[in-house]
Amino acid sequence: MKLDNSLPLEYRSEENSNRIFGFWLFLGAEIVLFSTLFAVYFTLWNRTGNGPTGKELFEIGPVLIETFVLLTSSFTIGLMINSMRQGLQKAAMVFLFVTLVLGLIFLGVEIFEFVTYVNEGATISTSAFMSSLFVLLGTHGAHVTLGLLWGAGIMLQIKREGFTLDTANKSFIFSLYWHFLDVVWIFIFSFVYLKGMM
Amino acid sequence: MKWDEFFVTGEPMIYGAMVSIVVVSLAIVIGLTYFKKWGYLWREWLTTVDHKRIGIMYIISALLMLFRGGVDGLLMRSQLAIPENGLLDAQHYNEIFTTHGVVMILFMAMPFIIGLMNVVVPLQIGARDVAFPRLNAVSFWLFFAGAMLFNLSFVIGGSPDAGWTAYFPLASNEFSPTVGMNYYSIAIQIAGIGTLMTGVNFIATILKMRAPGMTLMKMPMFTWSILITSVIILFAFPVLTVALALMMFDRLFGSQFFTMANGGMDMLWANLFWVWGHPEVYIVILPAFGIFSEVISTFSRKNLYGYASMVGSMVVISLLSFVVWAHHFYTMGHGAMVNGVFSITTMLIAVPTGVKIFNWLLTLHKGRIEFTTPMLYSLAFIPIFTIGGVTGVMLAMASADYQYHNTMFLVAHFHYVLIPGTVFAVLAGFYYWFPKLFGFRLNERQGKLAFWLIAVSFNVTFMPLFFLGLKGMTRRMYTYSADTGFGPLNLIATIGAFGLALGFILLVYNIYWSFRYAPRETSGDPWNARTLEWSTHSPIPDYNFAIVPTVTGRDPFWEHKKGGHQLYKGKYEEIHMPSNSGQPIILAGIFFLFGFSMVFSWWVPAIIAGIGIIVMMAVRSFERDHGYHIPVREIEETEARLRGEQA
Amino acid sequence: MKKLFPVHHVMGYVFSLVLSVVALSVILWDMSLAVGMTILIICAAIQMGVQLFMFMHIGETGTKTSLYTNIAYALFVGLVTVFGTLFTMIWGYQ
Repeated sequence: MKLDNSLPLEYRSEENSNRIFGFWLFLGAEIVLFSTLFAVYFTLWNRTGNGPTGKELFEIGPVLIETFVLLTSSFTIGLMINSMRQGLQKAAMVFLFVTLVLGLIFLGVEIFEFVTYVNEGATISTSAFMSSLFVLLGTHGAHVTLGLLWGAGIMLQIKREGFTLDTANKSFIFSLYWHFLDVVWIFIFSFVYLKGMM
Repeated sequence: MKWDEFFVTGEPMIYGAMVSIVVVSLAIVIGLTYFKKWGYLWREWLTTVDHKRIGIMYIISALLMLFRGGVDGLLMRSQLAIPENGLLDAQHYNEIFTTHGVVMILFMAMPFIIGLMNVVVPLQIGARDVAFPRLNAVSFWLFFAGAMLFNLSFVIGGSPDAGWTAYFPLASNEFSPTVGMNYYSIAIQIAGIGTLMTGVNFIATILKMRAPGMTLMKMPMFTWSILITSVIILFAFPVLTVALALMMFDRLFGSQFFTMANGGMDMLWANLFWVWGHPEVYIVILPAFGIFSEVISTFSRKNLYGYASMVGSMVVISLLSFVVWAHHFYTMGHGAMVNGVFSITTMLIAVPTGVKIFNWLLTLHKGRIEFTTPMLYSLAFIPIFTIGGVTGVMLAMASADYQYHNTMFLVAHFHYVLIPGTVFAVLAGFYYWFPKLFGFRLNERQGKLAFWLIAVSFNVTFMPLFFLGLKGMTRRMYTYSADTGFGPLNLIATIGAFGLALGFILLVYNIYWSFRYAPRETSGDPWNARTLEWSTHSPIPDYNFAIVPTVTGRDPFWEHKKGGHQLYKGKYEEIHMPSNSGQPIILAGIFFLFGFSMVFSWWVPAIIAGIGIIVMMAVRSFERDHGYHIPVREIEETEARLRGEQA
Repeated sequence: MKKLFPVHHVMGYVFSLVLSVVALSVILWDMSLAVGMTILIICAAIQMGVQLFMFMHIGETGTKTSLYTNIAYALFVGLVTVFGTLFTMIWGYQ
């Protein structure tokens, strides 16, 4: 295998650098996927039928917690890659663990929010607005859930093998994914919640 | 759901289909067992990650789907041949035009093109495989699972019947109460995931794996067209993913996206569908442009005229293709401003397309033209496609479109674009690259005869539809009265359709005959062609190129043959190869079960299958498979054997 | 500590928190829709930049031209989808 040792571990083999490149392409597709969900939401957001409006439904408290938690997790996953590049396996593991815990908290708050909505009688079938809200948030939440499983799998692999060409590559790609989810959340925070409460 | 609703009952034609499905499946199973070919099938094909074999499997599937979609087309034409015909009832007719559209676009045109790009692109850029061979196999098997799931609908549960565009509210539970539209939303979704992954794979392959010296502006035109196509796939398919998911939520979970009450907006479906749908048209057309560029340049014995403008026009088309979608529903309620804007963007697309037509004509100019079968398809494409394009500009004018909308004129237009643009192209590509894959040419005489039958019958079939449309015959009506005067032209069109069928039968016979009797090629370069894929042996060794070629110009193999440039420098080195895997087909099988359970709202099996999918992803994540290496000695032996056969 | 918490990461983090608080101002004070949306759009765009450049290291490899093109293309299609849909379905609908 040809290795270019001037590069960080995660890029070092040709396959590794192809994978990172391919994942960026996939993120391009994800941008369009979420844009389409936003397009649907913006089209339907004031078509509330007999259901509640965003203003009636949204509460700033849980949203702020979610935002803070997710921003922080994006910071910690960045620190994990930084430690990995310096060969600090233990620190990297701690940062990855913290990231996953923060992700779990985020998910918990989001589920709590969904339950609250449903208890208030606003379900996915209440109105076009509720449908688009649930699907937009739900798609992001599903991404976070998948990310948690993925991240946990990578943690096990690092524990078993240390940082190798494979695990470093997977970690880096995972970090891209996680940062991306943070970006999507920023847009949800701004254009769903804040705009809805304006 | 009651069990007597599970199978489609009461239709003699469908009983016939059920019987033939069972008979054919049994024949395949018995045949494989009798000839002890299960192991071979599993090891060499079902688990393969080799781009050439995956390409062949795509093309075989596409030919099967061409048969299915073709039979649908013939049934439709037979029904319309005479006024007040009773061959099909309204419901059956609805199902057939729906499946004809979906099958032909998504399960015939797309896989045929993806098959050709699988076979050709790595060879044209001097690579040993695609960037992600395992993912490539996943793509194929997901497409296959989706296609099979979709085709299952006509014997189990009922076919979708709301048109391939599946407009709401027609596609809602209220107006399409069978599971047919569930099949639509889920089967296409599964196939679509595979297609999206193909897009990622080929962009990465083309951008990262080219032979040394091959800069972007030295790539063969087919590779360029596939790069652009993959870019469109990458950014258009997510929209379809969302649209289909929302449809599924509406139908299975009672959401209110496209409903008529509680704020739902039925037109939003049409909007999303065409945001994907129009780029999709270019996904199936641009590769055709690439194929024709290769064929025309090879058989004119000239380099392609206007290379840079060819590339530029494709880039422009790829951007414009995303800003024209509303022209599919000019008549559905938006104002003059919207229609005006989309009219202009639509007409703009004619400009880069025109540039390409002139480039091909100028490539032909003063060339030493050879009339081979692929060349005949390419030459016929130019005038026929121009008719399709010009009628497209007619349709692009929003105010005039109120006359044409939803008439046979439109049906004629898009068949005039898609058949020469896509079908002629994949046939030309098939004839052109066939000897590369199998080591012999398809018989030229039979090929030319099939070409003339197909080209003439095509015009006989679809030209009358322009006039029927202008006379007011709408599309998707299952019958008409004799007073309308539509009878004679419809009869002509039907005769043409059977001529087309005859042409395709001849084409299949041509393949069969050539497999048995055609002389085997010895040179690896039967057409005296120009690009890298012809510089390796036929049939192609697993590793494609024993030594990675070095490129200095746009037609490297031509320059090599003219003695100006040495392609292969250096000596043999160990070659790294990806290993085969059964995971892709297993994953796709689980996706199939997942989809099938979702169609019938069987939640428990659906959840189990969903967990199965995640488990398969985890298995892949924990796997450490770094492929294997072919040692130098084995390469020497293979090369000597391939040369020996050629001596 | 500097090894574990490099300056530009910390700065990026602080930056993103500050931007979120600035965005929050749209619900704390009364303002017109236009002003509010401008603040939200600017903040979100900068946040995206912070993530892309400071955390995701988009510019660190040899393929950065392709990556920028990829993101630009995705944003083009995404924005066309959002605003095109609003244009055809809401603003330009009769």
